[in-house]
Amino acid sequence: MKRFAILMALLLLIVGSAFAQDEKVLVVGHAESTDSLDPARGYTQTTGIINHVTYETLVTFPSADASAILPLLATDWTISEDGLTYTFNLRAGVTFTNGDALTADDVVFSVMRLKYVGGSPSFLTANIASVTADDADTVTFTLSAVDPSFLSVLANNAFGITNDAQVTENGGSAAEDAATADAAESYLNGTSAGTGPYMLEAWEPLVQTVLVRNPAYWGTAPYFDRIIITNIPEAATQKVALESGEIDIALDLTADQIPSLQSNADVAIASTPGNIVHFILMNADPEIGGPVSNPLVTKAIRLALDYDGYAALWGGITPGTVMAVGQQYAFGPDKALARDLDAARALLAEAGFADGFDITLQYPTFTFQGVIMDTNAQKIQADLAEIGVNVTLEPGELGVSLEQYRSGQQGFAYWFWGPDVLDPIDMLAFVPGGKVANERALWTDERASGDILALRDRARVATDPAEREQLFTDIQTYMQESGAFAPFLQPNVQTAFAADLQGYVWHPQWLIDLAILSSAE
Amino acid sequence: MPIHLYVLRRVIFTIPILLGITLVAFVIANAVPSDPINANLPQSQLNNTELVEAFRKEWGLDKPPVEQYLTYLGNLLQGNFGRSIKSRQPIAEDIARYLPATIELATTGTVAGVVLGVVFGIISAVWQNRLIDYLVRAFGLIGVSVPVFVLALVGLTVLHAELGWVAGPGRLGARLTPPPNVTGLFLIDSALAGNWIVFRDALSRLVLPSLVLGMYISGIISRITRSSMLEVLRADYMRTARSKGLRERVVVLRHGLSNAMVPIVTVIGLSYGSLLSGAVLTESIFAWPGIGRYMFRASTSQDFPAIMGVSILIASIYVIVNLIVDVLYYFLDPRIRAA
Amino acid sequence: MSSTISLTPASARRKALNRAVYIARRNPLLVIGAVVIFAWVLAAPLAPSLATHDILAQDIASRLQPPSAAHLWGTDELGRDIYSRVLFGARITIPAGVSVIIIGSLIGTVIGAVAGFVGGIWDEVIMRLTELFMAFPTIILAMAITAALGPDIRNAIIALVVVWWPSYARLVRGMVLKVKQMEYVEAAACLGAPRAYILWRTVLPNCIAPAIILTTLDIGNAILTFAGLSFLGLGPEPTSPEWGRMVAVGIDYFDQWWTWLFPGMAIASLVIAFNFIGDSLRDLLDPRMR
Repeated sequence: MKRFAILMALLLLIVGSAFAQDEKVLVVGHAESTDSLDPARGYTQTTGIINHVTYETLVTFPSADASAILPLLATDWTISEDGLTYTFNLRAGVTFTNGDALTADDVVFSVMRLKYVGGSPSFLTANIASVTADDADTVTFTLSAVDPSFLSVLANNAFGITNDAQVTENGGSAAEDAATADAAESYLNGTSAGTGPYMLEAWEPLVQTVLVRNPAYWGTAPYFDRIIITNIPEAATQKVALESGEIDIALDLTADQIPSLQSNADVAIASTPGNIVHFILMNADPEIGGPVSNPLVTKAIRLALDYDGYAALWGGITPGTVMAVGQQYAFGPDKALARDLDAARALLAEAGFADGFDITLQYPTFTFQGVIMDTNAQKIQADLAEIGVNVTLEPGELGVSLEQYRSGQQGFAYWFWGPDVLDPIDMLAFVPGGKVANERALWTDERASGDILALRDRARVATDPAEREQLFTDIQTYMQESGAFAPFLQPNVQTAFAADLQGYVWHPQWLIDLAILSSAE
Repeated sequence: MPIHLYVLRRVIFTIPILLGITLVAFVIANAVPSDPINANLPQSQLNNTELVEAFRKEWGLDKPPVEQYLTYLGNLLQGNFGRSIKSRQPIAEDIARYLPATIELATTGTVAGVVLGVVFGIISAVWQNRLIDYLVRAFGLIGVSVPVFVLALVGLTVLHAELGWVAGPGRLGARLTPPPNVTGLFLIDSALAGNWIVFRDALSRLVLPSLVLGMYISGIISRITRSSMLEVLRADYMRTARSKGLRERVVVLRHGLSNAMVPIVTVIGLSYGSLLSGAVLTESIFAWPGIGRYMFRASTSQDFPAIMGVSILIASIYVIVNLIVDVLYYFLDPRIRAA
Repeated sequence: MSSTISLTPASARRKALNRAVYIARRNPLLVIGAVVIFAWVLAAPLAPSLATHDILAQDIASRLQPPSAAHLWGTDELGRDIYSRVLFGARITIPAGVSVIIIGSLIGTVIGAVAGFVGGIWDEVIMRLTELFMAFPTIILAMAITAALGPDIRNAIIALVVVWWPSYARLVRGMVLKVKQMEYVEAAACLGAPRAYILWRTVLPNCIAPAIILTTLDIGNAILTFAGLSFLGLGPEPTSPEWGRMVAVGIDYFDQWWTWLFPGMAIASLVIAFNFIGDSLRDLLDPRMR
């Protein structure tokens, strides 16, 4: 008995010593989608969550929305009369993780590297003609065309400022041939070279990402010493892990799991309308889209979807158009389309498809923020069967399907869209000339009517709020009537966390700011 | 035949099989009538002639298939499995990262399966045609018949979520830091580091998946144990042993089991392959960061360099495990020594 | 001789029946297996009349309902009736498993017979080839092949056939070698019969029986592997009520146990039944196992 007691005491000592260190650890359960942690290359939700706290941008948004542009690494800025030149004054006293001071050269390097490295987010720099360092604390951006959303663009994580010297030393390049010359990606997948409150300790793909506090951080130190983002792809497993205390916060729960968590006093739940819009793409090129390249058919499909059903499946709302509710000027659910099968059938008949047609729906096998795309695809199939459209499902692995989508090879596809830029101008991606319309749906200027092109040209440059509101209202009205897209769902985001966790707020751009979380003790 | 000659002979026999495995993998990966450049380089790099040329050269794509294969083999011998399209990392590094988790699971699964199987087999043989024999046999058949992924879900729901008897998914609690990497096997590494907290957690998380995988092979092993025990129990030397007045337990365990061991060891070697398959099927359920999930991702994304790398590696492991089994025979079966 | 003649057909039938009853008594597992398989084989064609709901009819309002009188085995994530879907699933999984075995065993038998009969270098090459295929764990090889061909039901079957033929080739080759030694084959060769004829008429019939036994043992395995592939999403399309696919959806809903347990039990019951039969047959034919 005595021996047993000694053994127990020893055991307690070992256990105690391991937990005695009062390091504050936050464990996040998340379905990892990281493609890269190099800010110039990574462009997924997980990359955004991580890089938001390891890198900082010149300007940023308030913690819960995109209602204003706030200073971050830049303290203030001026915009030229013609709207083409932006000059930023950099914050003094900012240092990188290795102690180097932030200078204008770092900003120039980071932006040029983003531009030339040819990564997924590089398109964001398309309108930047030049970036120059006027002196150590001043940077000037010159644009090719007026862009009222430029400051919102700059708030994107891809514009996170990296340490010029440190990245260059490890193979980085911002020269025009950076696409081949830059070799810093694997370095940046293992360390961070930013100014954020945290720095990357390790990324083990598909296992976990570990962040530790940045000792050289210029601002107020965050609460947690260490953040572990552990990869749990299945929502059901995330829920089990949260209930057992294994993780502190679960980011990708489904709406179905919420009721059974509500009775758990140890768990708090936040459910907010997200800003992801799920939509069907109908290729405007008759060779690729076939029947769905016909505008009458696209409208028939918009009228055939059971909008209420999707909202009931996942919790959420029906957006008016591809413009997410919450974006300025976006149509709310009150102005959304409603299902009208008779009208849809009539339109099909008018288009010459009275007996319907066969078509293949391509989509990625992916679960995003608790929405299982496979399930929605099956519902689309059932919905369209009611107007005689016989859909065959063709799921693909995310990366593969994404390549086909981005290169405009998909005729009839199901995707989702989260705004790149938190400005109404973002939705112009879906009108001819925009990224999604032009390159993915092949709905080009030649295939579009003059009305929408005229509206688009004015919307691109308009700055007067009243004029903008009118323009975006007209564009949305047009998009409900015509166009290559059928948006059908803007799901809620369900997050559940340990009841003592404080400071959680969902953000439309970076989803969650890990640096503002703390724990009640 | 002396041991080293025997081993040498077995090793030499293994080489052509290993070569053949690479050939089979190569043929499958190249059976698709598509341009390997399209399949292997991301869309964004296709316009970059420099990159395309470099890729062609590295894998000899401008040459006839036979030469391509030889180039691949040459790269392979230098440990160069190529680069995964999906992860953009060298495949050798990816494999080093994910394989140990699967090996650890398949090995503890084997241990669980052997223990269960041998115990059940002996029970079945000793009480042949009694009720317990039927029950044990039925249980074994159920073990090989219920899909591992269903068994895994049942185990997780009942044993973990409802009863809380076993630890949940994941290889290690998220709050714990993995032990310093020596072998990649958490049990061994944490023991080497003397970190018993990590050891205990890693062990507790292995229990459920190992039992699930063990169930499958325990059915096969108990069947073989039963039949070879039955054969042995009737043999003359057993009668002699009994007539010497030895206790039945000693007779069964010492004389019976040791003689029944040869076929059992064979089955263990052969079932290691099904264990690896089982691991592939259950890794997603157990959130196990192993080679199965990697292979799954590779095969759905048509990441052929990774598919080839993993298939070759797993097949080789299987061949090598069976080589080890052959060597074990040498010690277990005197007849081989004589031959 | 006289005793044989005195047997009437009726008494022969009674004798056979008695023997069957005796075997069944001694092998309860055989009977259980046969009954279960019979039930499934009957359920597949009768699925339309046994089903209570349209297997594609979605009902979002009554999704993820536990088993009830309206939905015997509950509903899935789109409100479809699981009982009806599992019934219809039998029409996919059983034919798929059976065709893998039939095609695989035919190809394997032919190749194995040729190897054994022709012998020499061909035998050597074919045998080494079978070893290569058998060196890959089934799922890994099947995953690689479906990756090359693209996931659908036909390709899953092709992949499994590629994995399956070698074991038949080896078995049949062994049998051919054994039979080849027998006197009557040598006699036929001496009489100048063409080799192909000898192979076809004398050797094959003698090898078929063990191959058929292997097939019954193996159907369960093929069904299991097919369900595994489709569990991984490498089989039929998402809407399909294939059992493995239905279980895979259950990972996302494992709190709602009925979504995965019933299709899982369907696979298990069928495979257990085949294994019960296989195990009993093995015991019957191999006296050492008794």
